[in-house]
Amino acid sequence: MNISEKTINNYTIISLKGILNASSAPKLKTYIAGMPDEQSLVIDLENVEFLDSSGLGALVGIARKKRTSRAVMKLARMNERVKKVFEITQAYTLFDIYDDVSAAAEV
Amino acid sequence: MKTLLVIKKQEYEWLIDLLPGVHPLLVPICNKPFIEFLVDFAILAGSDALRIVSDGVLGSVEHYCENGSRWGVEISYGSMRPADDIYTVIEKNRRFCLEERVIIISGFLFIRYNKKSEYASLFTSLPSGELLSCPHGSISLTGTSTTKTETPGTLPFSLAALDSIGKYYELSMEILRTGLTHYVIPGYSSEEDCYIGRNVIIQKSAEIIKPVIIGNNVQIMTNSIIDSNSVIGNNVIIDRESFISGSIVIGNTYIGEHLEVKNKIAAGNLLIDPESGTSIVMEDPHLLTAMTQSRVAGALLRRVVHALGATFLILLLLLPWLLLRPILGLQGKWKRKREQYFTRLPGKNVTLTNTTIECTGVLSALAKALSLDRFTLLFKVLSGKLALIGNQPLPVNPAIPLLPNTHAVYRPAVFSYAEAEEWPEIGIDTEIVEHYYAVHSDPLKDIAMTQKALFYRTH
Amino acid sequence: MNPIITLTLQANLRYVRIASIMACNVAEIFADFTCNSTDIAEFCHAYELSVSEAFTNSVRYAKPSQPEKQVTIRFSSDNSSLAVSIIDTNSQFNPVTQAPDISNYPEGGYGLFLIHRLMDTVSYTREDGTNILTMTKQATITHDT
Repeated sequence: MNISEKTINNYTIISLKGILNASSAPKLKTYIAGMPDEQSLVIDLENVEFLDSSGLGALVGIARKKRTSRAVMKLARMNERVKKVFEITQAYTLFDIYDDVSAAAEV
Repeated sequence: MKTLLVIKKQEYEWLIDLLPGVHPLLVPICNKPFIEFLVDFAILAGSDALRIVSDGVLGSVEHYCENGSRWGVEISYGSMRPADDIYTVIEKNRRFCLEERVIIISGFLFIRYNKKSEYASLFTSLPSGELLSCPHGSISLTGTSTTKTETPGTLPFSLAALDSIGKYYELSMEILRTGLTHYVIPGYSSEEDCYIGRNVIIQKSAEIIKPVIIGNNVQIMTNSIIDSNSVIGNNVIIDRESFISGSIVIGNTYIGEHLEVKNKIAAGNLLIDPESGTSIVMEDPHLLTAMTQSRVAGALLRRVVHALGATFLILLLLLPWLLLRPILGLQGKWKRKREQYFTRLPGKNVTLTNTTIECTGVLSALAKALSLDRFTLLFKVLSGKLALIGNQPLPVNPAIPLLPNTHAVYRPAVFSYAEAEEWPEIGIDTEIVEHYYAVHSDPLKDIAMTQKALFYRTH
Repeated sequence: MNPIITLTLQANLRYVRIASIMACNVAEIFADFTCNSTDIAEFCHAYELSVSEAFTNSVRYAKPSQPEKQVTIRFSSDNSSLAVSIIDTNSQFNPVTQAPDISNYPEGGYGLFLIHRLMDTVSYTREDGTNILTMTKQATITHDT
């Protein structure tokens, strides 16, 4: 999995590319842990080909951390395959989900 | 043009309890799933894409509508948080809303429209902003119009919020009576107020009165009557000699023999009264059939149990009755009326003393709470003329000398099953409850039901 | 059920993708003969995801005392359904699962729940010290009309 980063407004946009599963989730966690806790995030999921519950768990873990440090974490551009996992687990109720990165990085 | 549909779970949740097993957005209105009316409207308004956004589970809606290729419109789905306002939802769907005019329908709303009206050009020319609103939602438009026109005084569509089962019923009846030509209704129709689905079997002796909508795979058995203003869903059986009037029978429902369903919504094992929203649960789809009961042993045992129960109650209530009866009699609060009632046997009637206690004062309240008004009737149980619990005795009507045959199982009794179930209304509802228990009772259950009746009558 | 293919991998999370890609491919080959073209993607995704979950669980619960542990993925089929079994030598587990309480932001515990929701049948047996979790799904997806 590839992780790339850019900044829009006060948000760090994390773009993920590839597979987010049990073998790659630790990489994402370590990457996020390297940033200040109070940094608000938008995670762009457009190029995530595959996500399983370990990947979902990593995202939920980040969301919880951001919540306790009063930062914002949003998700953007979820594709159908990724959406399916969020739908079955009802994890979509925990996130603000945008279909556009720049819209997510406003407000 | 695109359409964004925003429906919060909180707005449709009430319907889940009433019609379980079907997603509220797929609940049929005149045999057409609710969401399809909105899809049709979006298409009429010139939309090539539709997005359904909700904070609730959309799985089954997605499964049903898929990507919309069936209607030639691109359907997608989005999620939101319960607290999001409409502006946040638009932001969350910015890519979808970008560059085009978007009709935003917010709320669990039915849009009344007429398929013959011209909506596509209307929506391109209308100015942006809120077009219509009602307490439970609104319809608005974003983007700039290509041609400048003023909003016409009346728009050729209106909103109806779906916020109660009563509204749902009213709306269905409204469409059935006056709006069938305004919408695309499933089924074959050679007349404008009669739609019949595929694979429908109607027995020769059955009678069907317009306006009516009948779904697919429906069987209407001998001598049944489908009276006007009825909607029969898919995979429904209306068994022999039943009468359906002003009612909605939701798909996959079985209506047993000799039943009268009037102004109700029947759904699977539920019978819902649209006015009060009360519903009774029926144990299995066959419960309303008139089953033949094993008479001999069962009847004897029942009689013994009922007699024992009555003896017990007589012993228990004798002292209060001896004390309260003379006092209330002197106060003039103890009123008696002798009337003829039907018994189980055709042609044989029984004379019963119908006691009413005027409910003023502590003593009469106490007497009522103890069911002393039924005290003398208990002796009829010992003589076998009445059961302890069963149907409410039917008074003999000189005009109809025979017991109406809707009462396949009729057992006149001191207490009725309907009282035990605290069923609020009289009439057909009571009859259904009584019929159900009459078919499904056994002596042990009868004792429990008698206790329930005694308890509920005190309240 | 006729066996199709069996793959044994070292119990290491590094190989979870191999297992799930294979599941996806086997499902696609199988579905090509049985499914409507529109349903194939969903059918394959269910296998890709379920095997990913089951393999991950098998690796996670592997006993550290056995470093040379392996997990076997076995596919078999009949005319209309494809079965995949995940076989490991871990200690016995309880395959019954309930929906995770999402409001507590749980980081795990979704795996078996997802499998149950994605597949038609999920069965668990314990034979001679091995766990066998078998998941099947009907290929022809019928729609109610």
